[in-house]
Amino acid sequence: MRRLRLVLVMLTLGPLLLIPAALFAQTMYVSRDEVKVTEEKSPTSKVVETLRRGAQVQVIEKSDRHVKIQAPSGKTGWVFKFTLSDQKVGGGGGNLLSVVTGDTRIAAREAGTGGSIRGLKETSERYATAKHVDQASKEAVQRMEDRVISREELLRFQQEGSVGEFAGEAP
Amino acid sequence: MNRTIQRTTMIVLMSLTLVGGTVDLSWGILDQLLSPPAEKKPSQSKGQAQPSEQKGLVDGIGGLLGAKPKDLDLIKKGLKAAQALQPIGLEEEIAIGQAVAMEAFARFGGEYKDEALTTYVNLVGRTVAEVSDRPELTYRFAILNSREQNAFAAPGGYIFVTIGLLKTLKNEAELAGVLAHEVAHVTQKHMLKTLQRSAILANVSEFSLSAMNKDPRLFSNVIDAATEMLFEKGLDKEMEFEADTMGIEYTYRAGYHPNGLRDYLATLKAQEGMADSRFFSTHPSTEERLRRATDTATRYRGASKYPYLTERFRSRMGQA
Repeated sequence: MRRLRLVLVMLTLGPLLLIPAALFAQTMYVSRDEVKVTEEKSPTSKVVETLRRGAQVQVIEKSDRHVKIQAPSGKTGWVFKFTLSDQKVGGGGGNLLSVVTGDTRIAAREAGTGGSIRGLKETSERYATAKHVDQASKEAVQRMEDRVISREELLRFQQEGSVGEFAGEAP
Repeated sequence: MNRTIQRTTMIVLMSLTLVGGTVDLSWGILDQLLSPPAEKKPSQSKGQAQPSEQKGLVDGIGGLLGAKPKDLDLIKKGLKAAQALQPIGLEEEIAIGQAVAMEAFARFGGEYKDEALTTYVNLVGRTVAEVSDRPELTYRFAILNSREQNAFAAPGGYIFVTIGLLKTLKNEAELAGVLAHEVAHVTQKHMLKTLQRSAILANVSEFSLSAMNKDPRLFSNVIDAATEMLFEKGLDKEMEFEADTMGIEYTYRAGYHPNGLRDYLATLKAQEGMADSRFFSTHPSTEERLRRATDTATRYRGASKYPYLTERFRSRMGQA
């Protein structure tokens, strides 16, 4: 009787052990450039690979703020959870139509504006002239456009305060 | 034998529960809540009446409600325009944002010229924005030289906070919370959605930079509507509540204590009736916002390990 019970338990639980990886494997997409895949759950641990925006990864394990993934190259490691999106990245979206239709894919062309200096648009310039916007206000907007913060400066700031990717780590 | 089957069934059920329970256990609480709902897209079967063909429907309902033929024509024009309006792209969004930004500087005392403090606000803002739902956009933050407490976001990622508001904050988590609320307005395109629904664009079939260059009055009308909404009337209150909820989520994702925005709202509530701020007239009741924000922030388990960064905030504020 005991042997029969054991066989029944093994027959039912055995296949269950195989289910999670196959059934719950989740595909996610990298939502920004230069996402580091690291050996440990820390941005300061050894970098295994750097992923580009739009890369498709397979989720292996999730923790509070990090996700263990398998990169397209087959390498595995941890990435900061909030650099991943469950929506396909790139192509279309980024406009009112996407808002109306619920298509929230991240627009590829928006990536082109990341960190770059933009001038005032001709339309905005014309508006300023027509509406007699004072020069100081116009120049202030131009200064907003000109201010560039490097990735290194941002990471240093985050590390000092234990925020962003460094949250939960000693400063 | 029956007992064996019963025990086996129990083990199987417990195993299934355990396996299922581990699947999404570790995701942020609001990840599910914040996922955009799957909208039902209307299926357009062959021969289905288009807005321009809906004579019977519009006329029928209008007739029942006693609408005049002139009004029915306007409704039909609106339906046609809504169908024909091309999507507003990023370039147009940025142009709107730049013009609104100029108006912000012009109306709120100009730029607060403190390069170090402006850089600090940008660093906190970028930390929050890069974990938002629109991380690919470049967000630009500026301080306005106004004593009144205010903060707002223009399309395209132009975000403003007054020096009056900055001086009321106690720590970096509160600053992150306020900026995250504004970032959420941009990620959710709240202003663009409102403009899209407004009468300004009701009869417009193309809203592109070239169309606006041909008809500068159209662009000017849009900016007038946008600035009135931002500086005087305020956005729809549900959009403000949504920006609070998402702002708290972005603050948490950025690794700050999620109570930041809630704490600032508590300060604002205490000052209601005394503080110099248009915040009260352009935002829903602070009491209701505070109640909802408290409810949202307390849902984050383990929040106590995230910092407020009071000392860093004080040192960066310096003599401001």
